Amino acid sequence: MQEFDHIQSLWQSHSVEVKISSDEMLAQAKKEVKSISNRSILNIAGMATSFIAVGSLCLFIDFQSWTTYAGIMIVLLAIAALTIILAQGHRLISRNDFTTHPNEFLVSLKQYQLSRFSLYNKMYWIYAVALTLGVGLYLIEVVTYMALWAQILIVLFSFLWMIFCSTLVRKAVIKKDRERIALLIEKFERLGSQFKTQS
Amino acid sequence: MKEKDLLFKQIFDTNSKKIFHLCYGYTGDEDSANDLLQETFLKVWQNLDKFRNKSLISTWIYRIAVNTCLTYLRSEKRQAKDELTDNIIETRPEEFSEKNEQVALLYKSISQLEENDRLIITMVLDELPYHEIAEISGISEGNLRVKIHRIKLKLTELYNQHARI
Repeated sequence: MQEFDHIQSLWQSHSVEVKISSDEMLAQAKKEVKSISNRSILNIAGMATSFIAVGSLCLFIDFQSWTTYAGIMIVLLAIAALTIILAQGHRLISRNDFTTHPNEFLVSLKQYQLSRFSLYNKMYWIYAVALTLGVGLYLIEVVTYMALWAQILIVLFSFLWMIFCSTLVRKAVIKKDRERIALLIEKFERLGSQFKTQS
Repeated sequence: MKEKDLLFKQIFDTNSKKIFHLCYGYTGDEDSANDLLQETFLKVWQNLDKFRNKSLISTWIYRIAVNTCLTYLRSEKRQAKDELTDNIIETRPEEFSEKNEQVALLYKSISQLEENDRLIITMVLDELPYHEIAEISGISEGNLRVKIHRIKLKLTELYNQHARI
């Protein structure tokens, strides 16, 4: 019968080797922190640029129909809403403190993940409907200035793109999110029961 | 070089081996342990300015490592724990010896404990003081003592079971 002391001496005799040096770790930490922050800022900058680009259509082109302006406004609102959500996400990343009490940390993480999941689910529809409506209204006037073949091509392309987004892409996104959240819930419930037995 | 850089390097050199051992005990796999080690020290770097000396820096780092391990998600790419531990034995025939076999059995036994218990016992095996483990894991010292006693018994039982096979 092996005793715990034997197990402990076995553990301590097993020397582990850290394969990364402090210099490499420092370089990597700096690079990663920069890349996480950069990616998040680039996303926001990309959305802001789209906002300016779409908005500038109103400034530089004199559209004749109200539908075009309505379409542009709807697209601008959708972009602005998503930009605000991305900015909030960026703020959360930069504020995140991993040193809190484990129980509170896990609870807050679970709440955060669940709220994000629900937000993205709702936002997907709002964003898809807004873009479809916006682009649809915008095209009513714009396509009239084009040749017939271009009109057909644009309408057909827009129609197929929207079907693609609302079927295949949507299904894939929801499936991925559902799996992710199910895994998280299962894990947190398991961990939660472990913590309950301790307190 | 900036003061923060020097401090980080000093912290890494002092604590990385113990944190790596903790992660290794939790995952039973060197590559995953290495990923967790890097993730932990990435968070240390990100939060170094927020450390307020309310506890020992090693306690603070352990707490980050424990949280990182607990939130470590198993993706489809990651194999089951038992398979990983078997790989440790199978892929290193040149290092085969009775001691290595015992070490592999120990990791296999640890991998069969509950996730939280795995982290607690690795800290016990590394002889961290109980009050520090209590602070890291957020459990009262009284409850922790009871829990550690139970985990020790369970680990010894698992180890003996494997050793008999």
